[in-house]
Amino acid sequence: MNTTNLALNLTEIEEMYPENPIDFFRDKKLCLFKACLEKYFPGVRFGIEDFLTDLELNVMTCTNQSCCSGTFFQRNLITRAQFGAINERNLSEINKIADILLFSCNGCYNSLIRGREFLNNPDVRKKTQDILNQLKNKNNSDNYPGKYEIVDDLKLKLVHDLDFFYLIKNSVVNALKYDLKDMKVAVHYGCHYLNLSRDKDSIDEYLRPKTKLEELITLFGGNPVDYQERESCCGWGASQVVIHPKEALKITFNKLKSAENVGADFMVTPCPTCLYTLSKPEYREKMQKWYGEKLEIPTIHLNELIAILRGCEEERCITLRRKTPRIEEIFEIITQ
Amino acid sequence: MDESSNSEWNWDFYEELVDDVEENKNIIQCISCGKCVGDCPASKVSSFNVRKVIGKVLRGDKSVLKDSDIWYCYLCERCKRVCPKDNINIPLLIINLRNESFKKGYGPKYNDLRKYVEMSERFLKTGVVLDEPLGKKLPAERIDELNEICNFARIKYVFKASKSTTKSKKRKDKS
Ligand code: SF4
Ligand code: SF4
Repeated sequence: MNTTNLALNLTEIEEMYPENPIDFFRDKKLCLFKACLEKYFPGVRFGIEDFLTDLELNVMTCTNQSCCSGTFFQRNLITRAQFGAINERNLSEINKIADILLFSCNGCYNSLIRGREFLNNPDVRKKTQDILNQLKNKNNSDNYPGKYEIVDDLKLKLVHDLDFFYLIKNSVVNALKYDLKDMKVAVHYGCHYLNLSRDKDSIDEYLRPKTKLEELITLFGGNPVDYQERESCCGWGASQVVIHPKEALKITFNKLKSAENVGADFMVTPCPTCLYTLSKPEYREKMQKWYGEKLEIPTIHLNELIAILRGCEEERCITLRRKTPRIEEIFEIITQ
Repeated sequence: MDESSNSEWNWDFYEELVDDVEENKNIIQCISCGKCVGDCPASKVSSFNVRKVIGKVLRGDKSVLKDSDIWYCYLCERCKRVCPKDNINIPLLIINLRNESFKKGYGPKYNDLRKYVEMSERFLKTGVVLDEPLGKKLPAERIDELNEICNFARIKYVFKASKSTTKSKKRKDKS
């Protein structure tokens, strides 16, 4: 039984709706997976939520969704089966209310896809289901047992915001009020988007360079610049920035520096965790102290950028981000 | 230095790890090509060398559990992408090795996990790592479920450890 194929089939939609892929979503219920770091970057959520609402699509979040818990699994604080159970609980709740689940965070996306992959191991699958079955013990409610079952052919399909925006790029471009005025943009995909293991299943997917961000930037009137550290990690590294900050921030520094070297005006990423590492003022200060150079390149999440380009108010795109170096400057340039 | 000079071939360690995480069986396919190391961010900033880690595991050299090296992995999955073999899952192996290291008491102390004490506490109390400023709170019944799921998990001990530290701190403050 293949429990892994949760990803929305983009090629199929392109074939079915060559003119207007957005039509595929018209009669669907879309749910936005809530990423923890949206607390610091609310524009990441608003950016997509407002856009989908304007397109008159049916968009929601799920009250019963918990954190994806990937961070706890990566730090050995929960087992694979516990991680699996948290995932399946979330999937099962969201499956009840939505058809499509969208991700603004590489980490969450990878967590849910990977959590499912783990279930291909019969032992992990059994332990995961056992944990879910035990939930009835404590809660004397009619809903149990069987409230959470591992469902192999979930109706729910998962899609990363970047893949989604790319798929409906014409609708995105049509909704823009401003353009990027030929600004030079460095793109950062993030490891957990670049290194998806399922891509290895198809040689085509595996070999094809990932260029969706560059293509979107071009469509938005920007100028994507190539830089040496394009594919390198942001430095977060499953908390390496906490465990070994000097080494981790060296990676962050090299990445940002390499983008500054080619004259990039800003860096765009589809992941709030990468954004956090690349933009946090405290990290910038540490980098200056340790590596002797002040880096000023601003970093923006794709969803925030689309919101700015659509002419959304500051509160709906870059709110809470005023301390980030030069972010307002970019906002001004785009919207002047 | 000859990498395999000071230990004899011994499959016990490998078998233990496979017993624990079946997917680890695939590391036997490793052809030592080093592609994983060439592309590894951790190798650029530390002496972490994942090809050597695999070599040690295959030779039954448990010193790998004491090495600080395994704590440098970024779990970025780059190695998994570039490895010419299909199913070698290095990040999963690293998580498994860290788990063994934890069990033996070699892993980083809880003070390295300080940030996680807070995050774990919040997760078990609210179901999220950072307070959700944008929507409704998770219902109490769902939070109970998460606590049930995490029964006996290390996440609960980190939480308890934090409680005892705060208590002893308070006691100190009083005296
Ligand atoms: S997952 Fe770990 S070993 Fe693999 S490339 Fe990333 S840092 Fe290196
Ligand atoms: S890339 Fe794969 S086969 Fe090559 S050394 Fe690394 S784990 Fe072994």
